[in-house]
Amino acid sequence: MVAPYWLMKSGSARNKKLCGKNADIFTCSSRTTFPRHPENIRRDDAKLKFVFGTCALQALDLVDQRSVTCLSSPSGRKAFQVIGGSGRLYTCFLSCHYCPCPAFTYTVLRRNQGLLCKHILAVYLCQAMAVTQQESISDQQMSAVLSGTGGP
Amino acid sequence: MTDILTLVFRTLSSQTGQNKDPSAGPPPPAPHSNTLVVGEHRLSRSVLLLAAVTAASELGVRVAFFAQTQIQSLPECLQRCSKITFSYPRTLEELLQQVASLHEFPCPPSLIIIDRLDGFLRGAVASSHAGFHSGDESRAAHLAALLCDTAAFLTEVLEKRGSSSAPCRTIASFLSDADSGQESRDPSAMDPILDVLDRYFQARCTLDQDRSYEAAAAAAQEAWHVYLSGTKIPDDLEDGPTLAQEWKLFIFPEGLMEFKLV
Repeated sequence: MVAPYWLMKSGSARNKKLCGKNADIFTCSSRTTFPRHPENIRRDDAKLKFVFGTCALQALDLVDQRSVTCLSSPSGRKAFQVIGGSGRLYTCFLSCHYCPCPAFTYTVLRRNQGLLCKHILAVYLCQAMAVTQQESISDQQMSAVLSGTGGP
Repeated sequence: MTDILTLVFRTLSSQTGQNKDPSAGPPPPAPHSNTLVVGEHRLSRSVLLLAAVTAASELGVRVAFFAQTQIQSLPECLQRCSKITFSYPRTLEELLQQVASLHEFPCPPSLIIIDRLDGFLRGAVASSHAGFHSGDESRAAHLAALLCDTAAFLTEVLEKRGSSSAPCRTIASFLSDADSGQESRDPSAMDPILDVLDRYFQARCTLDQDRSYEAAAAAAQEAWHVYLSGTKIPDDLEDGPTLAQEWKLFIFPEGLMEFKLV
């Protein structure tokens, strides 16, 4: 997933000394930095929760369950699918925030009380920790997944 | 996308007393912007068609134009134009499927145009009531996000091919319930669907009819204010400059359109 403008790789590694000079730093719009190194992500659960609220821990649960899959098709198109707690599949896009779950609709779109849901956060965390599952599907299957009319 | 709209307005601007310097006015936002045209349907459709023609003829790019109702009075030149593909999905589901399948095309479009998003979104409601209902926010977000993601993907494809048609842009028109004149709606209430769309469309082109005497003074049939607003995609956490352009549109009895930069 391409990081949106509010979650960009920081040019100034203010906290690099805390997590090693080779760790990548991502900065979010609240100006809180959290390191990308897999070990440090778990140690910084408190920071994640501070920034993202209760969905941070729920997202980490999804990460632990290896719930995120990156679908790719021969055309090069990609999308993420997340298995929710109820077993339902949610399709998220690479370049912008969208999730069909009720929490995204209510908390993000309607109440404007959050930037993302646990599914989208789980995608970011899985990408950062390199634990995203990979699956190849046909172009037609990809079109069905993207339009919400079907899936693998 | 506002770069194409600005090109449309400048192309149709008056020669007399008009600064034709391309650098006149503030710079448009990055062409990666998606633009939402908000205003009366008849005029917004005209603006979208002008954008399609301008993109195909001036920039030589492929255009995918989606509308729910067939355009009856399509000029013959447009019908013969091979660079513009017109599609008429009847439902939101059909529109989603057609947009989602654009990645399958060997020659993808560089401009995706959706006429009357409100028609597609309102038609998705099972209820017989007019207007939008709960759950529509998710459908609106899905369609808008799909458009954004599709444009981003097609931009990558075009750039990898070294095509001068990159980036892929999106423009859509929308008429809110408030602007449609529904008397039962509180005019001061925000349109929740427009709020959702604003999350995904970085730029907005607002069409507002001028009901003063300015049209008559210009010997025109109608006069409209055209506002271009939006922001550049921030880079390195710095906010880009805000886009703010105002144009005046005069429509003459013969159907001629003339834009003037204010």
